[in-house]
Amino acid sequence: MTGSRSKSIVIWAFVATALLMLSAPTIVVLGASFTSGNIITFPPEGFSLQWYSKIANATDLRQAFFRSLIVATICTLVSIPVGTLAGIALAKYRVRFARSIQIYLLLPFTIPLIGSGIGMMLVFGQMGVVGNLWPVGIACSVINLPFMIWAVTASASNLSPDLELAAANCGAPPLQRFLYITLPAVLPGVITGSLLMFILALNEFLVSLLLVDARSVTLPVQIYNSIRSIITPDLAAISVVFIACAGIAIALLDRLVGLDIFLKSK
Amino acid sequence: MDAAAAERRPADSFASQIAVSVKDVCMSFGTVHAVKDASFDLPKGRFLTILGPSGSGKTTLLRMIAGFDRPTAGEIFINGQPVSAVPPHQRAIGMVFQKLALFPHMTAAENVAFPLKMRRHDARAIPDKVERYLDLVRLGGYGSRRIHELSGGQQQRVAIARALVFEPDLLLLDEPLAALDRKLREEMQLEFRRIQKELGVTTINVTHDQREALVVSDEVIVMNGGEIQQKARPVDTYRTPSNAFVANFIGVTNFIEGKVVAIASPNVTIEADGMRLSGTVSGEKLALGSTCAGAIRAEQIRIAPKDSQLEGLSTVVEGKVEDCIFEGERVVYEIRTEALGGARMRVFDHDPESHLQFGPGDDVRLGWNARDMHVFQK
Repeated sequence: MTGSRSKSIVIWAFVATALLMLSAPTIVVLGASFTSGNIITFPPEGFSLQWYSKIANATDLRQAFFRSLIVATICTLVSIPVGTLAGIALAKYRVRFARSIQIYLLLPFTIPLIGSGIGMMLVFGQMGVVGNLWPVGIACSVINLPFMIWAVTASASNLSPDLELAAANCGAPPLQRFLYITLPAVLPGVITGSLLMFILALNEFLVSLLLVDARSVTLPVQIYNSIRSIITPDLAAISVVFIACAGIAIALLDRLVGLDIFLKSK
Repeated sequence: MDAAAAERRPADSFASQIAVSVKDVCMSFGTVHAVKDASFDLPKGRFLTILGPSGSGKTTLLRMIAGFDRPTAGEIFINGQPVSAVPPHQRAIGMVFQKLALFPHMTAAENVAFPLKMRRHDARAIPDKVERYLDLVRLGGYGSRRIHELSGGQQQRVAIARALVFEPDLLLLDEPLAALDRKLREEMQLEFRRIQKELGVTTINVTHDQREALVVSDEVIVMNGGEIQQKARPVDTYRTPSNAFVANFIGVTNFIEGKVVAIASPNVTIEADGMRLSGTVSGEKLALGSTCAGAIRAEQIRIAPKDSQLEGLSTVVEGKVEDCIFEGERVVYEIRTEALGGARMRVFDHDPESHLQFGPGDDVRLGWNARDMHVFQK
């Protein structure tokens, strides 16, 4: 009796500590953003929305934020067809060298970001396209693609092979079978993967840092640049906006497909 | 009408009555033959069941008819046309899958409408037709339900409606009842029969359930090891099995091993452990002196007290009750017969008056008719 009680106390204490550690940065940033003082402090001094109004009026921040949105959108648009098709193919068909392909697709995961970032910097630099936003979007898509593929294969491997046969039996030719049956069946995975890709690209720092120049600074890079000069509470306010974006994406995910598929995806 | 056309007519009309014709169809994976030289004709409007244990090739045969697999040899004809080169979506075949394979992201009505949309039926007529077929399977008013909101039996009915809604030439059933509990399964068997008779659609059903095969079908094909063992009406399959496999697979059958000592077709005499027994030849040819098996159904053996005469029965043997099992409508006796080398015989007693008249250890007499013992090559 006492044994199980002390055990549960230990477990609860552990869980509470873990939760606190996980949420502490968010709470600190959230609090600091509402300060009425001029420096980042926690707990904040007083309450004001001045830093939010300041970032709303700061054109450089706003432009960097829009650039980040564009990068995230490009990344998502590239990842959807590539990740969906690759995920379905790996889960459903007996592709030749399926295993090697799978490992190859997971490579971006194992290579340090700085490595792949430098590689892409060289490639895009040779092509003379650095300064545009689309290379950053494509780079984000490449390094994060495993997430998309995971999300899609998790959906696709639950798919019964009989479904496509049933569709064929109903008179559907191959393309229609894919469009009306396979695709809707893996849609939860595609939505999960897309939102994940969007958030990851929105937040991507290291690879962006290597691929942007003064004309194409994205928000994380902009924040980093600001930190190097002076740390003011407006950075906390931007971080809160950032967190809110991710929160909205998660909420959207939960509404659209439920979080369980995301949590269960292998 | 010219004479030549008039002459051709009988043959044509015969051919046009055959819905499915399977000719020497084989399916091999390397050296393994899943289906070997299968041939049969199925007239229009008939309900055929392919019965066999798992791995007998019955599902492979069905998949070839559906067009999912291509025979490695032989040809399948549907309405007289060879179909090996026709992909599944261009065949007018409805199919109910073992796991139903309903489209989970669609409602019941959308599932039923799908074949009509894919087959480009007049869009305005689709809702009415869907409603009519949902009514046919007694699911009127359930159209807007999602698949996961329906019970197992209701999902079954949606799958049937989806397979039938475009009025296919042929309906295929791939063990769709295997997963249901017994009561629901028996209800759905009768439902299949009712719908099939109502629409008159030619149907091929695949199952390992011998009872289902006997209940629903006009004709039964028994398969084993990729080969067709027998094709006959259910009653004939049961009463005159063509070989020992069929006799063993359908019903509860006792086998008495022996040697052929005299043949006067259809009568045959075998010797088992020094005792001479008369039986009938059914199907296979027998050679004098060859080893054979006499097969007799558990319900065709009469059981009586040891002093009774069992008049009118050609074979009478002594035995001792080893076990008796009460199964409700019948009692199953396990009898050991010393006269037949200690063979154990299973006997059904359906007589409600005589239930449980014998117990373990009782001496009894068993008797049967020579025409009920089918003798097969061993």
